[in-house]
Amino acid sequence: MLKQLFIVLAFVIASGCDRSSDTDSNNQSSGPGSNTSTVAAIDNVFIDENVGYIVTTNPGGGYDTYARLIGKYLNKHLGSENIIINNIPGAGHIVGTNTLWKSKPDGLTLGTFNAGLIYNQIIHRSTLQFDIGKFSWIGKAAGEPRSLVVAEQCPYETFDDLMAAEEVIKVAAAGIGSASYADTKLLAEAFDLNIDIIPGFEGNEGEMSMMRGEVCAQFGTTSSTLPFVESGGGHFVLAVGGNIDGVPRAEDYAKSDKAKGIVSLMTALTQLGRITAAPPGMDPVLLEKIRAAYKATLTDPELLAEAEKMNLPIDAAFGDDVTQLVLDALNQTPETEAIISAAIQGQ
Amino acid sequence: MDFSGIFSALFNIIGSPYNMFLLLLAVPIGMFFGAVPGLGGKLGVVMVIPFVFGMEPISGAIFLISMHAVVHTAGSVPSILFGVPGTGAEAATIVDGLPMNKKGEAGRAMGAALGASGLGGVIGALFLLAVLPVLRPVILAFSPAEFFLLAIFGITFIAMLSGNSLIKGLLVGFFGLMVAFINLDPNTGIERYTFGMYFLWDGVDIITAILAIFAIPEMIALGVEGGAMAMKDKHAKAGYKGVIQGLMDVVKNWGLAVRTSIIGAFIGMIPGLGGDAATWICYGHAIQTSKDPESFGKGNVRGVIAPETANNSKEGGSLLPTLFFAVPGSSGMAILLGAFVMLGIQPGPSMAITGMDIVWTLIWTLMIANVVAVGMFLLFVPLFGYLSYVRGSLLIPFVFTLTFLGSFLGHRAWENLIILTVLGIFGYFLKKYSWPRAPFVIGLILGPIAEDSYHKAMMLWGPEFLLRPGALTMITLIVLSIGIYSWRMYKKSKQTDEANHSVS
Repeated sequence: MLKQLFIVLAFVIASGCDRSSDTDSNNQSSGPGSNTSTVAAIDNVFIDENVGYIVTTNPGGGYDTYARLIGKYLNKHLGSENIIINNIPGAGHIVGTNTLWKSKPDGLTLGTFNAGLIYNQIIHRSTLQFDIGKFSWIGKAAGEPRSLVVAEQCPYETFDDLMAAEEVIKVAAAGIGSASYADTKLLAEAFDLNIDIIPGFEGNEGEMSMMRGEVCAQFGTTSSTLPFVESGGGHFVLAVGGNIDGVPRAEDYAKSDKAKGIVSLMTALTQLGRITAAPPGMDPVLLEKIRAAYKATLTDPELLAEAEKMNLPIDAAFGDDVTQLVLDALNQTPETEAIISAAIQGQ
Repeated sequence: MDFSGIFSALFNIIGSPYNMFLLLLAVPIGMFFGAVPGLGGKLGVVMVIPFVFGMEPISGAIFLISMHAVVHTAGSVPSILFGVPGTGAEAATIVDGLPMNKKGEAGRAMGAALGASGLGGVIGALFLLAVLPVLRPVILAFSPAEFFLLAIFGITFIAMLSGNSLIKGLLVGFFGLMVAFINLDPNTGIERYTFGMYFLWDGVDIITAILAIFAIPEMIALGVEGGAMAMKDKHAKAGYKGVIQGLMDVVKNWGLAVRTSIIGAFIGMIPGLGGDAATWICYGHAIQTSKDPESFGKGNVRGVIAPETANNSKEGGSLLPTLFFAVPGSSGMAILLGAFVMLGIQPGPSMAITGMDIVWTLIWTLMIANVVAVGMFLLFVPLFGYLSYVRGSLLIPFVFTLTFLGSFLGHRAWENLIILTVLGIFGYFLKKYSWPRAPFVIGLILGPIAEDSYHKAMMLWGPEFLLRPGALTMITLIVLSIGIYSWRMYKKSKQTDEANHSVS
């Protein structure tokens, strides 16, 4: 164990310098157009090679934890030397995703980011240097269902109570421009909720605010609010993209076309949790090899056992199915686009 | 209170060679992560999680807590020796630690930092114990309104850190505030001073800014002036003599050390304020309660003791909301919370009923790890003291490497190196023309807390937030603090005038 620890410590220092060596070469010429690659050559791609896995957040947290778990087993199934986790945080996942987009599609760089960036692409945000639909999609490890939590001190027991509320209800959300803020705003739009979104609550600050009785509710990922609910701080009143025992789903309430459109978009995004993608323009044979290794990883009994012990749910999908989920989410009506645009910009 | 439970938890640690081995292994690892700029305890926990996974819950928790508790014990060393803070919370130690080093008192400063860290860690653990019965009402009493006023309280310390010229201090402080506003405004989503560069969306990296303002100017000055960091009394107090003197300073200033330990633990306990704020507020408290406030920034040992106690005691405080509400107070605690869940420890209110054996174990671990860290470090500190006398030409490349590495590791962005260089040159001119540098850091750290909580308070209650009981208490505290400080300064200047008169 001592030796392993020393190796890790040395790696921490060294990893400061391993930022993907391919980041500045937007070389996609070796992509599908080049027919020189053979299946035999592709079989040897990973031998003695390190594969970089870009995580668009700092170490720690959900994205990083999933990446480290998947990386550990993917290495075995790819036959690579090592999988090196490369944390490139910044600008709400945009910096790391831009880096992944610009990397060579040679199979030696993979990455994960927040699928909520789809919102930014739908409204054509100029800071994105990528087209999410054109990444070489490998798969996704889990769903990320959302839910609306109401604080115990608040008088609203059910979602019907919230919809019928006459006074303005204060709801906590992360900063304007974040996926969390956009989700909350979209929920309010879909069901014409009489709410006032208070932005700027990062991490678990929203839960503290609910405990202090300042805000009444919060809309976020079910996994992150579960400990708060289990500890008696609040209760779920609505589930989006997943099932919670005894809690109604958003689909049950979506009657208008607008509500149906928004709920279907949000549901599609909740399916895209803990995604893995590669740079665009990858050789199809190579892409299939990586997809097969990823599938073997996510169905590996050892990984599943470890994930269960670590309390990390696995709900995997692979290859073209994930590509289709992404394309469906990107394909929105102008009306929904306008609503998302207003939501992201806090209007 | 269940005394048998408390002491059986202690026996669980010291009676088990395996647990003691883990504790003794974790302490140097934690200190390593604290001493290397840009790493910090959070990254430390992330890196060791794979090794802890699969351990018994208690053993794993002992390992993680011992590591996390002592991160700041070693962080004071590069701060004092080179002006290079290991973490953002260490910056306050530089203000007096570095001048002490230059006076040839590096050993004394490190001894004081070590003693203060150990004492702070132990008091932080005891605080955790004492506050358990009233935890919930105390934590819930602090809302964005009180956060805002607490940050304003900290910002008023700029006046005390301004040295001879209040105007210069305010200008530098406001510049720090301005740099803090470079980001994507969380309340409007609008880019502020980012010039279209998205690496600035998350703001200027605090570690980079602190390294630029303190470490770079010191090294440029050393290069320009020649010689070594410590110019006076060569070898006067190197070795154990200085270190023991520093430890005795903590004993002599026990009142201050205990107070700042409690303040640090208290601020650590309130989620959302952050540890960097704790050290500066404690530093300000040391100046406020000092008989000779003008000696701060010039090598006053109390200026080292106050932030160092707070640095370690806040770790005990921040465990409370994490363990009992499952609400982590910082991103580091969030990772620790995740690691606990992974080990099979389920934080939340039920801890008070079913998990008290773990709580007692963690409290004892905090205390033992802090004491062990002091013991271990005591062996090396006298050797570090000799680094003050290394010639500049040998030291500068080493410190520059450490500085640039620290800046890069913070966010893994090469753009940070440009900010480091530009702000570093700015910092050098501040130093050269004797402008105070500490107000910059106060503005940078407390500005965003003030802004964020002001927006939230206004949206939640409107301007009436200032009339909340907690807010009124804080306002009274601010007025009293400024009033008492001004009165003392007035009295002092009058005494000086009278003394001058009688001499002439």
